[in-house]
Amino acid sequence: MDKAFIQRRRRDLVVAAFLAAIAAAVPLFVKDVYVQNIMVLTLMYAALSQSWNILSGYCGQISLGHALYFGLGAYTTAILFTKFGVLPWFGMLAGGLISALIAMALGYPCFRLGGHYFVIATIVIAEITLLLFQNWDWAGAALGIDIPVRRDSWLTFQFTRSKLPYFYFALALACVAWFVTWWLEDSKWGYWWRAVKDNPVAAESLGVDVFNSKMGAAAVSAFLVAIGGSFYAQFVSYIDPESVMGFQFSLLMALPAVLGGIGTLWGPMLGAVILIPLTELTRSYIGGSGRGVDLIVYGGLIIAISLARPQGLVSLFSRKPKPAAQPAREAVAS
Amino acid sequence: MTALLETRNITQRFSGLTANSDVSISVGRGEIVGLIGPNGAGKSTLFNLIAGAFKPSEGTILFDGEDVTALPAAERCQRGIGRTFQVVKSFESMTVIENVIVGSLVRSTNMRDARRKAHEVLAFCGLDARADVLASDLVPSEKRRLEVARALATEPKLLLLDEVLTGLTPVESQKGVELVRRVRDTGITVLMVEHVMEIVMPLVDRAIVLDLGKVLIEGKPTDVVRDPKVISAYLGDRHAVGA
Repeated sequence: MDKAFIQRRRRDLVVAAFLAAIAAAVPLFVKDVYVQNIMVLTLMYAALSQSWNILSGYCGQISLGHALYFGLGAYTTAILFTKFGVLPWFGMLAGGLISALIAMALGYPCFRLGGHYFVIATIVIAEITLLLFQNWDWAGAALGIDIPVRRDSWLTFQFTRSKLPYFYFALALACVAWFVTWWLEDSKWGYWWRAVKDNPVAAESLGVDVFNSKMGAAAVSAFLVAIGGSFYAQFVSYIDPESVMGFQFSLLMALPAVLGGIGTLWGPMLGAVILIPLTELTRSYIGGSGRGVDLIVYGGLIIAISLARPQGLVSLFSRKPKPAAQPAREAVAS
Repeated sequence: MTALLETRNITQRFSGLTANSDVSISVGRGEIVGLIGPNGAGKSTLFNLIAGAFKPSEGTILFDGEDVTALPAAERCQRGIGRTFQVVKSFESMTVIENVIVGSLVRSTNMRDARRKAHEVLAFCGLDARADVLASDLVPSEKRRLEVARALATEPKLLLLDEVLTGLTPVESQKGVELVRRVRDTGITVLMVEHVMEIVMPLVDRAIVLDLGKVLIEGKPTDVVRDPKVISAYLGDRHAVGA
């Protein structure tokens, strides 16, 4: 039954494994620390965008406040480590769970909001939380938290001499986020989410639990994003509210998905691979003197793509060619 | 044997406007019942109340012997009420088969089963050749059939059809009529809203005519169309005198 479909699913897996293997080999040849740094960030944003895509792409609930979960992940890990000596691995898990719970607690009222109001609510809630953290003395307030550097170790997930461990963790995270998406895509949840996005009223009439679909998407999405935040805290080893919960993170999670193809399996990956290096490179090469030239390039790219490829770059690789008008007419006649 | 669907004294008010008043109807198992009436008669309101789009101001709805008045639409679907929409609501970014899978997932959580079931339903509705086409690329008559297919995939006991035959070419609507008959032959009860009398009357076992929010008359289609009250509701009193 439906061989083509099963083949397509398998091919996605094979391609992903192949790409992951190539990515894993890259640091063997690229020793430049600056470039490695960009690669780490690219993979991290790929993972974040892939996670954002679950709620906003598949389920259609556009969030521009996911910096909240990123920050919560970072803060949970950092606070547990510096104040209670809890290893970051447990901090990561705790951060993920806390974020998932908060996402559901916020979703409870917010998912009743329609369209633009939901987007606005996500922005506002993230900004309010940012302000709270800036004034929360116990959590370091605006000064933030300095994570004390000890020996390089996988136990404490700290490495000062090499970026490679971070690189491989970020790669693993991107793979996990991709795989979770791949897996959910052909599950009840995946179909429910897309149905909710396209037409909630019709979805309801087909037995879809619209509200809980959104809640589920929010929880999964927030959990994965928080893991990314925990990772980032370890990676930069110093966090403050603005540097882990600022609005730019919400944007940088949304943009790769939008650029690559929102609500698609490969879109966020593709978007991140193009967008993040471009952001970093333009910032360091032309951003310094001209103050903002990098943002002009960035904005120009987004405009160009939205004009030329509104469905996202991934549509360039579309497997299914758009059916011509011909078969449609035949089907009517038959 | 109790009726599959029964409404008791349904009244629905929309801020001052009474769309349904004291409507009591019943639909027996295996019947095809037509719900007809002129524009503004309250057909769509009653239809939506049965499907669970909203709750009635007064009255109760019994399905399969149980009170479902307070149940949301999703739960009624699980109980066995399937519906289509007058203005088609396809999942436009999904393919035809994916649209139908959403429906079949109500009965099976196993993806393989859900997919197989969806293919069966598509074949039944004559859409299998279009399975991998995006719903947005379907022509209007195909979208109507997709609505029916999606609802059938939920394995309903009662299928509610909201003007699925309206606005089709004669050939298309004839195929629609055949499809509805075949649906009934599989043991599914059908309640359909239509206002094109010529199409519905030969198809239905029984017709319920609504006018001004009330049940005007119900009975065999041949009797209903001759009834002076019906003619007057549709065409005005002047014509009723001639009948």
